[in-house]
Amino acid sequence: MTSVTMPETASPSSAPATRTVPPRRAERGRLTGRVLLYAFLIALLAVFALPLLWALSASFKSRSEIFSYPPQPLPIPGNLDNYRGLLDGYPFWTWLLTSTAVALISTVVSVGLCSLAGFAFAKYRFRGQNILFNVMFSSMAVPFAVIVVPLFIMIAKAQLTTPYFALVVPWVAPAFGIFMMRQFVEQSVPDALLEAARVDGCTEFGLFRRIVFPLLRPALGALGVWSFLTSYNSLLWPLIVVSEPGDYTLPMGLQVIFSATGRQYDLVLAGAVLAAVPSLLVFYVLRKQLLEGLTAGAVKS
Amino acid sequence: MTRPVATPARPEPSTARPAKQPANLAERSWWSRNQRSLAPYVFVSPFYLLYGLFLLVPILVGFYLSCTEWAGLGTPRWVGLRNYRDLLTDQSFWAAMGNTALYVLFTLCVVVPAALLIAQALNARGLRGRDMFRMTYFMPVVISPIVISVVFGLIFDKDYGLVNATLQAVFGFGGVDWLGDPAWARVSVVILVLWRWTGYLTIFFLAGLQNVPRELYEAAAIDGAGPVRRFWDVTLPALRPVTAFVAVTVLVNTAQIFDEPFLLTQGGPGESTLSVAMFVFRAGFQRQQLGYAAAAGVILFVVVFVLGQLAMRALGVGRSTR
Repeated sequence: MTSVTMPETASPSSAPATRTVPPRRAERGRLTGRVLLYAFLIALLAVFALPLLWALSASFKSRSEIFSYPPQPLPIPGNLDNYRGLLDGYPFWTWLLTSTAVALISTVVSVGLCSLAGFAFAKYRFRGQNILFNVMFSSMAVPFAVIVVPLFIMIAKAQLTTPYFALVVPWVAPAFGIFMMRQFVEQSVPDALLEAARVDGCTEFGLFRRIVFPLLRPALGALGVWSFLTSYNSLLWPLIVVSEPGDYTLPMGLQVIFSATGRQYDLVLAGAVLAAVPSLLVFYVLRKQLLEGLTAGAVKS
Repeated sequence: MTRPVATPARPEPSTARPAKQPANLAERSWWSRNQRSLAPYVFVSPFYLLYGLFLLVPILVGFYLSCTEWAGLGTPRWVGLRNYRDLLTDQSFWAAMGNTALYVLFTLCVVVPAALLIAQALNARGLRGRDMFRMTYFMPVVISPIVISVVFGLIFDKDYGLVNATLQAVFGFGGVDWLGDPAWARVSVVILVLWRWTGYLTIFFLAGLQNVPRELYEAAAIDGAGPVRRFWDVTLPALRPVTAFVAVTVLVNTAQIFDEPFLLTQGGPGESTLSVAMFVFRAGFQRQQLGYAAAAGVILFVVVFVLGQLAMRALGVGRSTR
């Protein structure tokens, strides 16, 4: 990597070394480096954003325009027929409501359970702690494919295939969330504070509720977005377990339109754009917390 | 979203507290005397309850089912290890294993280094718009896989797709059958994996890089280390914990890959992009071979679990920080 420090801020010891290069050439090399760097990053920006913008644009095109050759970058003239067709022909709002409600419930419960367990692992020393932690941690390496068949059978036999049970309850205490919370509690909750509250007669759950939980606010945001997005975007499990069309989640509904009658790209694209709105909104509002929360565990241990 | 779980009431004023607390220790209940040692068990118990019900029990049921033949109706018929024996001679299963191995190798050898490279670029001093870049790169993971599959289905379309049109415009050749040709279908799935996960892994490396003290680089530069040398001797060792974490996550997650091949190619053409997780799904929910699906699941479980544990041990991921 090229050094970009200004000559006056460079440490005195490195100054003689840079002087061997004529100042003009060093300046120019630095500039080319910068230009290349930005070119690289902006090209990547296009690579990551283009498919999504393409979908947005195509959602305003008619079916024949979507499949015109060569492809048109902009929908001219754009129209809202796809959106109208989707909203009139399918129970889109019901799907959206189910998805959102399921995701919100999962989020609230899992944030509570994960931070509670993370607190216990971070701030208590108890018998069996290491074994319990390892059991929890290694459950992240259990492939979904191994439990999917038996879990489906269990839930179907118990007749609990309603989205509010099947899509929520088995997934509300993800090991990853507990691990993330443990990292955060270790970093941001001082032992002295807990001891002081104990001396004042606070109960152990009170410690969690009054001290730990408020201190963890940024981390709760991180776990919250993560679990909202995971639940909102999940596809495989809902496809397996939910069978009543009235109970479909949004990704399921779109998948069904998509695979049912001759790939209705036009309607599905409109639905895809609408479906992406809540996730992008949640992500945009809480992006800082999410990105920092995800990396907390990886960087610190 | 500031406080997802509402706290029912504000803490009562401290003057109320002494009244609640009996002065005499002997009067306090068994629970309040022992709560400090019992609390952690109570706090972790919801997880283990769910773990038992929705993970452990299904795994055990899965082991049982894998030794039966069952189409979902009536009672499962015990067949011993026959499912496993059949799997070992099943061409489709080996195709799925081979494809999955390909996806894992590709992610480890291409996606992870690409993410590291991008993180390096994003970590350049004085870079403007770092957060915007980081956020946009991360976006593919935020978007529902169904959205991605529709868009990429369009982009990779043989006749009308953006990729072929661009190739045609630039190189005068654009007749690649991205989703219909077995080899190209694999390439398409792998491109989708690259697109979807690179930005996600980048944020881990970037966070790691931002934690490397600048002085280390300066010291190395004074000792005459060039950029390449600095990368090998300063950056890589400092990134060890992050790399370990990323490698294990990638290994475990890619071994279970489902979304990308399922949505983009339905495992086809033929079985050229089928993954093991898709194989389980297909056997269990499309062909009603529940025992057979369970057996394939068990094999995947054993392989992933053993590899995951080995990698975690070898790289030291998840150990307590104390």
